[in-house]
Amino acid sequence: MSIDDATTAANDRLADRDDMIVCVDVDKFYGDFQALKGVTATIKEGEVAVVCGPSGSGKSTWIRCINRLEVHQGGDIVVDGIELTNDLRNIEKIRSEVGMVFQQFNLFPHLTVLDNITLAPIWVRKKPRAEAEGMARALLDRVGIPEQAEKFPGQLSGGQQQRVAIARSLAMEPRVMLFDEPTSALDPEMIKEVLDVMKELARSGITMMVVTHEMGFAREVADRIMFMEGGEIVEVGTPEHFFTNPTEDRTKLFLSQIL
Amino acid sequence: MASTAPASTHHERPPLYRDVTVVKWVVQIIALLLTLGALWFLANQAGDNLKASNVPTDYDFLSVNPGIDLSSGIDTDPDTGGRALWVGMVNTLRMAIAGILVATVIGVLIGLSRLSNNWLLKKLGTVFVETLRNVPLLVQILFYGAVFASLDRVSLDVGPVNGWFHVSNKGLSMPRVHIADGFYQWMIVIGIGLFAANLLRKRRIAQQDLSGEETYPILSAFGLVVIFGALGWFIHPIFGFVGNIFDGLSSVVSAVPEGALQILVALLSVGTSVYWIRGFLNSRRTPAGLAKLTDDDYFRMIFAGVGGVLGAVFFLVLWPGLSSWMINSGSDLFEVLGNKFGNGRSGRPVDVALPDIVQVGKFPNYGPSGLNFSIGFAAVFFGVVFYTSAFIAEIVRGGILAVPKGQTEAAAALGLRRSTALRRVIIPQAARVMLPPLGNQYLNLTKNTSLAIAVGYSDIVQVGQTVYNQTGKTLPVVSIWMFFYLSCSLSISVIVNFFNVRMRIVER
Amino acid sequence: MQDANQVSASEEFQRGLEEGQGSPHEAPSLPVGQWLRKNLFSNWANGILTLLGALAAVVALRGVLNFVFSENRQWDAVRTNLRALMTLSYPESQYIRVWVALGFVVGLAGLSAGIWANWGGVSVRRISTWLMGTGALLALCVIVREPSVILGSDGKVIRTVDGSLRRESFMDAMADRSTWWLAAVLLLAVGAALWSRFSDPARRRIEVSVTSVVFVGLGLAILSLWIAPYGHYAYISATKSYVAESGRTVAFSTKMPWTVMLILLSGFFFVGRFFQRGRYLGLVKGSSNVLWLISPLTLFWVVLRDPALDYGHVISTDLPMGLAFGLLGGALLWGLTRSDIGEAGRITATVLLVFAVFNWVAAFFGWYPMLQKARISFLLLALAALLAPNFIGEVAKRRQLVLGWVGVTALVHYLATMINTPSTVELQSTEFLGGLGLTLFVALIVVLLSFPLGVLLALGRTSKFPIFRMLSTSYIEVIRGVPLISVLIFFSVMVPLFLPDGMELAELAAVLTGYTLFSAAYLAENVRGGLQSITKGQYEAADAIGLTSAQRTGFIVLPQALTVSIPQLVGQVISTFKETSLLAIIGLFDFLRVANSVIPAQSEFMGVKREGILLVAMIYFFFNFTISKYSQRLERRVGLGER
Ligand SMILES: Nc1ncnc2c1ncn2[C@@H]1O[C@H](COP(=O)(O)OP(=O)(O)OP(=O)(O)O)[C@@H](O)[C@H]1O
Ligand SMILES: [Mg+2]
Repeated sequence: MSIDDATTAANDRLADRDDMIVCVDVDKFYGDFQALKGVTATIKEGEVAVVCGPSGSGKSTWIRCINRLEVHQGGDIVVDGIELTNDLRNIEKIRSEVGMVFQQFNLFPHLTVLDNITLAPIWVRKKPRAEAEGMARALLDRVGIPEQAEKFPGQLSGGQQQRVAIARSLAMEPRVMLFDEPTSALDPEMIKEVLDVMKELARSGITMMVVTHEMGFAREVADRIMFMEGGEIVEVGTPEHFFTNPTEDRTKLFLSQIL
Repeated sequence: MASTAPASTHHERPPLYRDVTVVKWVVQIIALLLTLGALWFLANQAGDNLKASNVPTDYDFLSVNPGIDLSSGIDTDPDTGGRALWVGMVNTLRMAIAGILVATVIGVLIGLSRLSNNWLLKKLGTVFVETLRNVPLLVQILFYGAVFASLDRVSLDVGPVNGWFHVSNKGLSMPRVHIADGFYQWMIVIGIGLFAANLLRKRRIAQQDLSGEETYPILSAFGLVVIFGALGWFIHPIFGFVGNIFDGLSSVVSAVPEGALQILVALLSVGTSVYWIRGFLNSRRTPAGLAKLTDDDYFRMIFAGVGGVLGAVFFLVLWPGLSSWMINSGSDLFEVLGNKFGNGRSGRPVDVALPDIVQVGKFPNYGPSGLNFSIGFAAVFFGVVFYTSAFIAEIVRGGILAVPKGQTEAAAALGLRRSTALRRVIIPQAARVMLPPLGNQYLNLTKNTSLAIAVGYSDIVQVGQTVYNQTGKTLPVVSIWMFFYLSCSLSISVIVNFFNVRMRIVER
Repeated sequence: MQDANQVSASEEFQRGLEEGQGSPHEAPSLPVGQWLRKNLFSNWANGILTLLGALAAVVALRGVLNFVFSENRQWDAVRTNLRALMTLSYPESQYIRVWVALGFVVGLAGLSAGIWANWGGVSVRRISTWLMGTGALLALCVIVREPSVILGSDGKVIRTVDGSLRRESFMDAMADRSTWWLAAVLLLAVGAALWSRFSDPARRRIEVSVTSVVFVGLGLAILSLWIAPYGHYAYISATKSYVAESGRTVAFSTKMPWTVMLILLSGFFFVGRFFQRGRYLGLVKGSSNVLWLISPLTLFWVVLRDPALDYGHVISTDLPMGLAFGLLGGALLWGLTRSDIGEAGRITATVLLVFAVFNWVAAFFGWYPMLQKARISFLLLALAALLAPNFIGEVAKRRQLVLGWVGVTALVHYLATMINTPSTVELQSTEFLGGLGLTLFVALIVVLLSFPLGVLLALGRTSKFPIFRMLSTSYIEVIRGVPLISVLIFFSVMVPLFLPDGMELAELAAVLTGYTLFSAAYLAENVRGGLQSITKGQYEAADAIGLTSAQRTGFIVLPQALTVSIPQLVGQVISTFKETSLLAIIGLFDFLRVANSVIPAQSEFMGVKREGILLVAMIYFFFNFTISKYSQRLERRVGLGER
């Protein structure tokens, strides 16, 4: 089964969907070090794509290029039909359309949970405060911590903080959610509560791109798994293909180490 | 896969006002131009106003007799404005260096006493620090000044050690050690001695590492320097030929054609920018060829290029006097050096003069032969020393507290003796924390000596003020102040940085 | 924490930071003998150090006491000149204005203390140790001070044959100081009684609130004004001199006002307390902050100067102009915050900005006349228009902007009118206000003005934009490399030269400008420290949720950076205050100048310097020590000291 076959298999289910994220030949340099070497991939609307690979393979770099936390130097990135260029207006649009969840949560420690969530809706989306707060409470309910609204991030557990971070991103009503190793900084017992929220999200039909080493999660909800190494996408396939008979040796090696 | 790739592979540039890079650089360049414009405008305005009020801003006063007397310094009756300012600078530096040394000693002692487990010492240290750092320095200086001014009048037999040491309302007088005829040649001998001593030290250390025997590298190096010093005391006149070399250099420099130097400077400006751009491009080169340059990178390079060319134009067209100035001052410098090292100087390198009290008119006063500290000096000195030492004490305390307790315990667990642990473990780490703020305090002390103006001690600010009151040339004087203090700041931060780097090596 | 039951958001935040850090635990108390051995005589070396230290302390104390109480000291010079030290030559008939201004500040301080106060408590045992310590120190002072000089029947000192002064015997001296003995013993007794009453473990931790201790202390101090005659002074306006005059004491003339001040302080403290739990907390906090910002200007230029308003001019010009700017500007801003405004908003704002800046350029060259008020208003309006896109959305938010604009306009126009109107107060010197009043005013203004400038410089120095970085860095480093006095001289002498024809700047204004520019460079370095402590993740998170860089800076970066740098900022405030003393050198009459030059020049007190300078030192010490102690408390509470 080749890469193309796997893509076709995934595309069967999502065949009639529009493209959400399109990357063509994306290059990224840090000084003289090339972190991304011609990354090409397409993610459909509503798809859940899991990116995995060894440390330093460029997963974070890629995902951060997609909402322009890093600037790519070669190739094109198009998100929901908006091309990522130097255009200020496009950057603004992308940022409010793409949510991102970080490994270190990056909540704002000086704001309450509620203020963390309502900040962007009020000041970027220009929503009335009452409406924003109502939505924030609903989101907190959805991620399972409705009672923590008035607390400060420092008073929450890691898992709770990460769920607040998810709610904060969702509050912008994004079309795409990016997750960069959302569970890596968590204690094992907290990982599950975050993954549960993510699974629920995945089922709700939002487009998701997830960098993670949680293979159980990948197997359960991913539409496709992409394996990266050395700044390149080495192998792409459905979970079934990926876990049962990967074609590339490097993938096999990686899987044998991680599973 | 290829089927899903978007058709658009060409990049459409967004309109300029929405392009991130363009906006970013345009904003910066506008800010730069506005700043330069404002400065240019103000300078112009000042120039016009000065011209209108008939006070030209030139530096002629530096070579004209200012007709002022200074209260203290190496030359209390300077014959040019430049000389007067020079005396002021020396006074400032003298105060700053002495102040830094004494303040450090007192500050370290007080800081340690605040850490001691003796309750009384701790409290006394706290009272010292809190009192001194919460009262403005100027208030302290004025207070000391007022107290000293109420001391006994100076008289022919004022003590405490008549003929050697005098204290009175005119200040302090004590024996003076001063540079004499053969000093510079002697310094050459000592320089050679230092060089040799360094070689000896390294060899001794190598020996010690090989054999394991104690070879006293520092001690023997020090001994060698002393031997050279003693020897040089007698043989220094043979180095008089150095003066001839400097004389020769002086005439060589004055023979350099002006035009060539001008072009050289301009080329240097262009060359620097070319060099920078090449270095920049090299830093962007990858094994796989040149990395893709961002728009920012292009802007940077354009900026460097334009800067270099502008510099060249500036030197060639707008400032043609530069090269003749460089040549003149260079040859003057070598001429002065030639004099100092001149052949035929054979006296003692260093001499001592005892203080005396003379009565010229109605009132007795200290004569010029001793080392005299006016009450102005004493007031400023005590002021800056105590004030700064309070801050140094806090830095020392903070630095030592910043070393985790585990370090002391670990050192003890390794069986290091307490003194070794202090020297090898605690102090290197504390010093790393302490050095930057300490450097800041030294800088503050140097700047604070300018308060001397309040008690009439002739530091650079006070002398400068007297000079511009006489000549009306405020702007040039202020520019000299700025230049002087900025050089002091720069030297202190260079020194502190040097030690900081060394500390890091020690730590490793 | 006596008001632990009132939980406001910011306190929660602070408690969040405080978590995991228990209250500082008290060392178990030892019997006196053991305590001495452990802390003073643990070994030989320590014992010797203790003895040396004690000797040094006694010698120093004796020196200070002999200096202060020496028969040569002329404290009359200070007592007589107290008013000059405070306000220089502010006319006595108008003095009520000074008290009103002070009362306003005191009331505001009380209000803020009430709102913010959560100063915690101090254990009764701590208080008892203070009392005993003070008592012991007092007793020590009484003993070590040398016996007084005996005065002859003519009131002059008596000299012995060898020229030294005749002093009373040691026992006589001790007997003479019986009042002081009594006070020392009383303090010791009260302290000891408290100590033993609160020594069992159950009561050891009992605390009283710091605020009540402060109030009791202030109350006692003011009570003493009613009882103790602290001295006498009078200003003879005919001869323009100050002389000692028996009968009219300082206490007599100030006990009433100070009592009123105490009442104001405590009254507003309780008002603040009341609002601390109410739902108007945000409103009261906001308005007290605004009052702090504008009160120095208003008190200085309106209350103390008492401008003589020309109502004809006010009605014909000032009022209509203010109304026009307030209403038309408000309407414009209302329009600019419509949700369908689009690019038109930015374009309007830019045009306004260009126009406003052009007005200033034109003013510089004198191209066309325009009221300064109008120029300032246009500039403010342009800035408000630039901010407008942030307020697009619901009506409440738009109203916020418009009301804010109207408020600012009203204030600016009011102040500008008042400042432009000549004063009715008749002044005896060129300076409008001098002494401590001037010192405080300069310190306040410089701190207020240098704050925004310093923050901007710090942002510039840490910015991603290389040219901004270069400009800010070179500015900061150059300023920090030169002494303040040279900057002040430069500004007081040179500024007139930089101005175009016909434009003038009072010396005070020039000096304020220079000092502000100087102070801003230092402030920038302190803020930069805070900025560097913000992690990259905070920036990225703010970018990822789509905040603009201004919003990111204002909502995320600065609040955190400023919180972190509070200790350094307080330190900066203290140095600014200390360095106002340099005004004395460049010829302004601050209270150091009064002590150092004005008093010694009076014929009654020829050359009397040391007393005045000592008083000035004490006043500076009092302010700075209080601020730094308060800041340390704050630091501990916010948990910053732990870093
Ligand atoms: N700011 C940077 N400057 C220079 N090199 C960088 C930078 N960020 C990342 N890199 C390099 O780029 C490569 C890819 O980094 P990236 O963070 O994308 O890896 P990753 O796949 O996310 O690894 P991990 O699983 O450890 O998070 C690494 O070799 C890293 O060293
Ligand atoms: Mg990563």
